[in-house]
Amino acid sequence: MADNSIKIFTGNSHPELAKLVANRIGIDLAKVVVAKYSNQETSVTIGESVRDEDVFIIQSGCGEINDNLMELLIMINACKTASARRITAVIPCFPYARQDKKDKSRAPITAKLTANMLTVAGADHVITMDLHASQIQGFFNIPVDNLYCEPPMIKYICTKIDNWKNAIIVSPDAGGAKRATSIADRLNLDFALIHKERKKANEVSRMVLVGDVRDKIAILVDDMADTCGTLGLAAKTLVENGAEKVYAIVAHGILSGKAIKVINESVIEKLVVTNTIPHEDKMAICPKLDIIDISPTLAEAIRRTHNGESVSYLFSHVPE
Amino acid sequence: MRHLVLFAGSSIPELGQKISEHLGCQIGGCTLSKFSNQETRVEIYQSVREKDVYIVQSGCGHVNDNLMELLVMIQACKTASAKRVTAVIPYFPYSRQADIPYRPSGAPLTQAPPLTEPSTPRTVPSTPRTVPSTPKMDRGALINAESFTREVERIAMAQKLERPMERPHTYTPADNAPLPCAYNDKNGSYREWVARSGTLVADLLTCAGADHIITMDLHDPQFQGFFDCPVDNLSSEPPMVRYIKQQIPDYQNAIIVSPDAGGAKRATRIAEKLNMTFALIHKERRRPDKPNHLDMMLVGDVSGKVCILVDDIADTAFTISKAAKVLHKQGAKKIYALITHAILSGDALQRIQQSYLDVVVVSNSVPQEEHTRKCSKLYTFNVAPIFAEAIRRTHNGESVSMLFNLDNELI
Repeated sequence: MADNSIKIFTGNSHPELAKLVANRIGIDLAKVVVAKYSNQETSVTIGESVRDEDVFIIQSGCGEINDNLMELLIMINACKTASARRITAVIPCFPYARQDKKDKSRAPITAKLTANMLTVAGADHVITMDLHASQIQGFFNIPVDNLYCEPPMIKYICTKIDNWKNAIIVSPDAGGAKRATSIADRLNLDFALIHKERKKANEVSRMVLVGDVRDKIAILVDDMADTCGTLGLAAKTLVENGAEKVYAIVAHGILSGKAIKVINESVIEKLVVTNTIPHEDKMAICPKLDIIDISPTLAEAIRRTHNGESVSYLFSHVPE
Repeated sequence: MRHLVLFAGSSIPELGQKISEHLGCQIGGCTLSKFSNQETRVEIYQSVREKDVYIVQSGCGHVNDNLMELLVMIQACKTASAKRVTAVIPYFPYSRQADIPYRPSGAPLTQAPPLTEPSTPRTVPSTPRTVPSTPKMDRGALINAESFTREVERIAMAQKLERPMERPHTYTPADNAPLPCAYNDKNGSYREWVARSGTLVADLLTCAGADHIITMDLHDPQFQGFFDCPVDNLSSEPPMVRYIKQQIPDYQNAIIVSPDAGGAKRATRIAEKLNMTFALIHKERRRPDKPNHLDMMLVGDVSGKVCILVDDIADTAFTISKAAKVLHKQGAKKIYALITHAILSGDALQRIQQSYLDVVVVSNSVPQEEHTRKCSKLYTFNVAPIFAEAIRRTHNGESVSMLFNLDNELI
């Protein structure tokens, strides 16, 4: 049992999620004001004592990413110089996670840079959800908890999708095969895969289906939906190959650029995303959007980390 | 210049272009843009293996985006096996920070201020602190409980009278967004903790892989100690001295004025070099009968003389326009202002246009094309030659000391 208390701070990226998490734990959000000076520099003022406390800073990599990242770094640094006992950065959607390898000459590995920056700012621990590549945990020298959205996704499929026993889990690309097969095994369903050829970033060319989806409900599973080019084309391919309906369940719904338009015009029945990224404005213009709340998972992780209990329960169960 | 590669970030492409012309080399090919989800995207088109790379980026405009771009470019060059990566940062971001991160207690505060009216002004020691100006309005920055923000707002309205005006900020009472400031809960013991990002930015640059930093007129010369790598803090004084000698008629009878006590050293250096007299404006003086009124006291005599205000940073231009008012009241004939880094955010240009300043001369460490178009009193002097010389000498392994010599006519 820890003798100090939990303090949860939030930046400007996703304050609603932080409030949900704090309510779930049963405490108030700690007082902090994060704003900008007249010349656009970020200003952080912490309103309570954090000396010897267990500090959790919830900030997601969405919206104005560089501003939010800078806010996170400055908050971590401020808590460190204010003598906090331990500082955990809770980052539901990890920024720059897709730039994690040098896939062409002189490409930066910005995920490694972000990991270095978090460590240098003074974070002692990182909690994140569904990292794009779980090897990113190795970029850090500090402990990283990579929580999974899989249990909440499975719960959604079992409760909200009619006739889910006649469904088939489809991965829209080869990289996500492992994720999709794990869900398929858990639900005892069949599995299919779509292989895509990509020419430029955020642009997809050709799609090839591997597996049989005839007369089944197809459930596309992926970790990120950014411009939704992949999802839109995958859904079309599935319907052309005989699928009855197409659902899409995605962990991080970034939905930038023309994504909402693509989804509205596609054959996808429903796009389900988690609330690692705020979506209130998108709900109004996209009737196909549905949201899974993952704040109980985050809140449980924070509580267990603080109390020194095991977090493994969260890898296969959804906390109620 | 076979092994030198120069990149210009998106904050000051014009200065980068001028530096490359002075050096006689082309700007390295790279694309700087953003992905659809606003992540920074850097692509470098030429080889930097075993080369001496210089990246020019200033801490102006959208500071966090430009800082991130700089860090990603440094990282990209480092992982592409560059021999040495130098960050050339004319205006260093996050260089101004509060002297102390909390407010020491002045008079004892025993209870929270009432929520219905501005609290009675309290006496606090006049330690300068960085107070934020108008927060970014389109964020809707209500991130905590409504009652807290309202309480903060009330305290902020009361405190704006007694806030020492040294650090630039503009607070207009019409804004509804909350401002950070001291609040005290029932036990009245805690003040806020203001984050000081100077060390953090230094650590970030080092961890991204910078081997060397070249900057100009750091607000705090002690900043060099935050880094483990060499830092060249260049001086913009030679072009300022040259401007005074060439453009101000009868400059020997003019007076150099520093708009605050912190800048006295800078102003006296120029005054000694040109053999001119010196005056100082001290703005933290407090009169015992008006405890909330911050006076600007002029130390020295300026009546009937041409005054030259010298300062390093002009952000909201509050300091220099107030200083110009004081000088005008004391009988100055004409008022010039020489500023190194003119960020001029918010309504600074309007303030300058309406102030008693006659001519404002700034460097192009921060892009000035827009500003000179909007304000007729603004002129720029070029600092690209200084940076180009520093880059050339660093690359060739020669001494940079002559750039600090005020006699220097080369640049």
